[in-house]
Amino acid sequence: MKKAINWKFTIVLLLIGFMIAIQYNTMEHPKERDTRDIWAIRQELAEEKKIHSELLTEIRDLDRTISSYRTLSESSTGQALNETVDKLHKKAGTTDISGPGFTIEVRPSVESIAYGIPITSISSDLLTRFVNEVNRFKGIHMEIDGKRYTMMSSIRVINGVTTVNGLNVSSPPFTIKIISPTMSDSEKLYNYLLASPIHDDFYLDNLVLEINQPERDMTIRGYPDKFKNLYLKELPKGE
Amino acid sequence: MTMWLPLLGLLLGVSLGLLSDIQIPQIYSNYLSIAVLAALDTLFGGIRAHLQQIYDDKVFISGFFFNIALAAGLAFLGVHLGVDLYLAAVFAFGVRLFQNIAVIRRILLTKWSERSKVSDTKVQE
Repeated sequence: MKKAINWKFTIVLLLIGFMIAIQYNTMEHPKERDTRDIWAIRQELAEEKKIHSELLTEIRDLDRTISSYRTLSESSTGQALNETVDKLHKKAGTTDISGPGFTIEVRPSVESIAYGIPITSISSDLLTRFVNEVNRFKGIHMEIDGKRYTMMSSIRVINGVTTVNGLNVSSPPFTIKIISPTMSDSEKLYNYLLASPIHDDFYLDNLVLEINQPERDMTIRGYPDKFKNLYLKELPKGE
Repeated sequence: MTMWLPLLGLLLGVSLGLLSDIQIPQIYSNYLSIAVLAALDTLFGGIRAHLQQIYDDKVFISGFFFNIALAAGLAFLGVHLGVDLYLAAVFAFGVRLFQNIAVIRRILLTKWSERSKVSDTKVQE
């Protein structure tokens, strides 16, 4: 008799525990309400579409590479591979590159000269901000005071001096070169930078940006050092 | 030993519920909360009856399910009538819960004091 009571109690307690746990779950994680309005959703959709089109472009590029591999005869597969390596080198920024672009001069502002405020090197925060602003545009190549800015480049303060790739950025005036894929891209970026609020940020640091008209042909140097390859290893031959 | 089995059941139920990560829609959480209250009320009623030696299987099991159904039904009716009837259920069950626990406490206290008396007399002997 006693055992039967215990069993029933156990089952009832199991049910109660289960109910309490579910109630706890429900109270702890209330479903988040979707509060986006039609514009927010539209914007998100636009962003996704942008990513979609970017991915499509990339796929098309890769497809072209594959078909070039296929069409080439055995003897010239080496050439195709070399082309790919060149393309990757170009993308990584190790080669010299020329194309339509423009230069930007960073100078001390007229007021700071008039008041005799000492000119200090540009702050790393400001330079990072500028690079981020420019990087809104895809496919650009940049050189900051003669140092090629690549995907792997870093802007840091070393011993109180702002550096790019570990090399000092000289105190203003210095030049920044930006190359875009096409002339119209270059003009777009030029116009964007002319109207950009980044000028105010530079002015707060007693600096002004002098943006020159885009030119048809400009050259910037490649990244001189080799990239460190930490993660990829060559397979032994024949495997 | 006899105490541990129900406790194990409770733990098992809680862990089952937490691990399965089941969530019910917000609008039904009222019903569930009141059902939990009803279940607790029945449980403590059962424990009390057990201690008073008037425990009956049928009463306990039927009370458990009937109370839950009644509470949920009352809450449902309240929602549709626009009266917060579930508050009545919360009140009723809450009061009964406290009464039952008070009775259980008294019974346990009496038992405990009797037992200590017995052990005292044993020591004196």
